[in-house]
Amino acid sequence: MSAVDTSTPSAVLPKAVPLTPGRVSWQREALALVVGFALLALLPLVITDSYSRHVLIMIFIYGVVASNWDLSLGYGGVFNFGHLALFGIGVYAYSLLTKLAEMNPWIALVVSGLIAVVAAVAVTVPILRLKGIYIILVTFGFAQLVMQVILSQSDYTGGTQGIVRIPTVTWFDHNMVRDAKFAYFYIALAMLGASTVFLRALVRSRTGISIVALRDNEEYAVSRGISLARQRLITLAASAFFTGIAGAFYAAYQRNASIEVFGMSLATIILSMVLLGGTSTIYGAIIASFVLTVFSESMADFGAWRPIITALLIIVVMLVYPSGIMGMLKSASRWMTRSRNG
Amino acid sequence: MALLELVDVAKSFGSLKAVDGVSFSVEAGEIFGIAGPNGSGKSTLFNVITGIPFGPDRGMIRFDGEEIGGLSGNRIARRGLARTFQRETSFDGLTVFENALMGLSFGATKMPAAQAHEATAEALTFVGIDFASFGRLAGELSVYQRKCLMLATAIAMKPRMLLLDEPASSLTKPEIEASVELIRRIAGRGITILLIEHVLTFLMSLSQHLLVLNQGSVLAMGAPRSVIEDPRVIEAYLGTRRAA
Ligand SMILES: Nc1ncnc2c1ncn2[C@@H]1O[C@H](COP(=O)(O)OP(=O)(O)OP(=O)(O)O)[C@@H](O)[C@H]1O
Ligand SMILES: [Mg+2]
Repeated sequence: MSAVDTSTPSAVLPKAVPLTPGRVSWQREALALVVGFALLALLPLVITDSYSRHVLIMIFIYGVVASNWDLSLGYGGVFNFGHLALFGIGVYAYSLLTKLAEMNPWIALVVSGLIAVVAAVAVTVPILRLKGIYIILVTFGFAQLVMQVILSQSDYTGGTQGIVRIPTVTWFDHNMVRDAKFAYFYIALAMLGASTVFLRALVRSRTGISIVALRDNEEYAVSRGISLARQRLITLAASAFFTGIAGAFYAAYQRNASIEVFGMSLATIILSMVLLGGTSTIYGAIIASFVLTVFSESMADFGAWRPIITALLIIVVMLVYPSGIMGMLKSASRWMTRSRNG
Repeated sequence: MALLELVDVAKSFGSLKAVDGVSFSVEAGEIFGIAGPNGSGKSTLFNVITGIPFGPDRGMIRFDGEEIGGLSGNRIARRGLARTFQRETSFDGLTVFENALMGLSFGATKMPAAQAHEATAEALTFVGIDFASFGRLAGELSVYQRKCLMLATAIAMKPRMLLLDEPASSLTKPEIEASVELIRRIAGRGITILLIEHVLTFLMSLSQHLLVLNQGSVLAMGAPRSVIEDPRVIEAYLGTRRAA
């Protein structure tokens, strides 16, 4: 672009203007996604022990929760500190639906996602007119409220005892218990895949772009016809669906529900994943859930030092690379192209 | 019939009457200039007209024959009333192309994606942004380029009327000349323009009507020549005029 150009532009546009200039084309991204998930699907061939598979399943669950948080926090710029409550709502919704209402577990998975969506809409309405710290306050309060409700209804929820022997999903007459977590692995992977495709399609769409526009400059976005209330409701509702399903799957997998899912420690771990991965990427949160979980597992011998070392690592990475792992990968790929081109 | 009509519009911040009973009307197709010293309420007037971030305390604002005073900002925008901001503004995390695409996707005319793509490219080329820059992040642009981009996002909305808040501020001489030319071409598309500007020569060369605000009230209004010869205008304006 020249600094000052007043010439009348040509009416003919070059055909070569890509549909998403400056971004990876959707075809290339779809291809990379297919290859990536195909490789993940091959993992159980190499990783056969049930403990390692369990770690992978937890990574997939965390990956879903963290990447959906990236939608509201990273893309939307909404400090929803009740995100883990949506996960907890999924846990308890599934537990109650399958145990008390005896709903089919597969249907209960989806219904739990929908219940989380309803909860997200309920918490979004009061924060529509709020900003920054007040949003944190209200959403944090919402999480506490949900927890208190669950504790107070101990006849159904078991209160601090939680719920045990929750019905799990079944796959025809496959034995879910004696397959070294083979089936759970693929269910978790499918969930991560569906969530990732959903999130990436959303953030690439015009709705997704408008969510970023509102984050970058609210007044400017409104002046271009974008409705703050509508887009914010969409953002929070969309971030809740797979988060709720992940909670439901977690309950089906662990076969018990406990109030601990509302605790600070889980929220801190997931938030670290979002930030360490690099916000507004979706993939960053997923990669970071892998990196952090594996790192944390490999440090098992360090006992009490483990969380301290993990926290230090996160701080160091964030100081050196504020844009997180995805920022690192981007600079690395730029560096490689440059050295290849001389 | 007037495209935009204001009757006795007012807006206060506490005891400060930023806009104090302003009335005027803008005919379709014209460029209507608004001048006034610093803090005279020009930007606040734009804010209350567009509902961004607030509407008026009092008075009537009619656009295309319909009252818009109580509508939310995005609704007003969708009716075909677009604005720019005094400070160059952009969606920094989005590409140049995505910035303009936003204007197109939520404005008065909603288009299917493929059509929107072409119209977006057209709006960008119109303001002088070439294809090579489409994929750049808006945050990387220069002040002038961002001002052009802000105009492109507004044009992409296919508005009937465009409110420009000091489009020439913090620009160099050649850039100001380019802006004058660009605003002429925008008007040439049939878009009515309401233009705030400090640089009087800028307003003189462009507008058919000129209004001078002072402390929230209309000091003078009419043909640009006669307005700037008004002794009250000379006094109010030359007293506080910014060094150009
Ligand atoms: N949101 C606000 N809250 C409080 N006071 C405000 C607000 N916006 C504007 N004002 C005050 O209202 C008066 C008019 O401000 P406004 O920005 O409309 O002036 P202006 O004519 O656009 O000035 P400039 O030429 O500097 O852009 C000023 O005294 C300003 O301080
Ligand atoms: Mg101003």
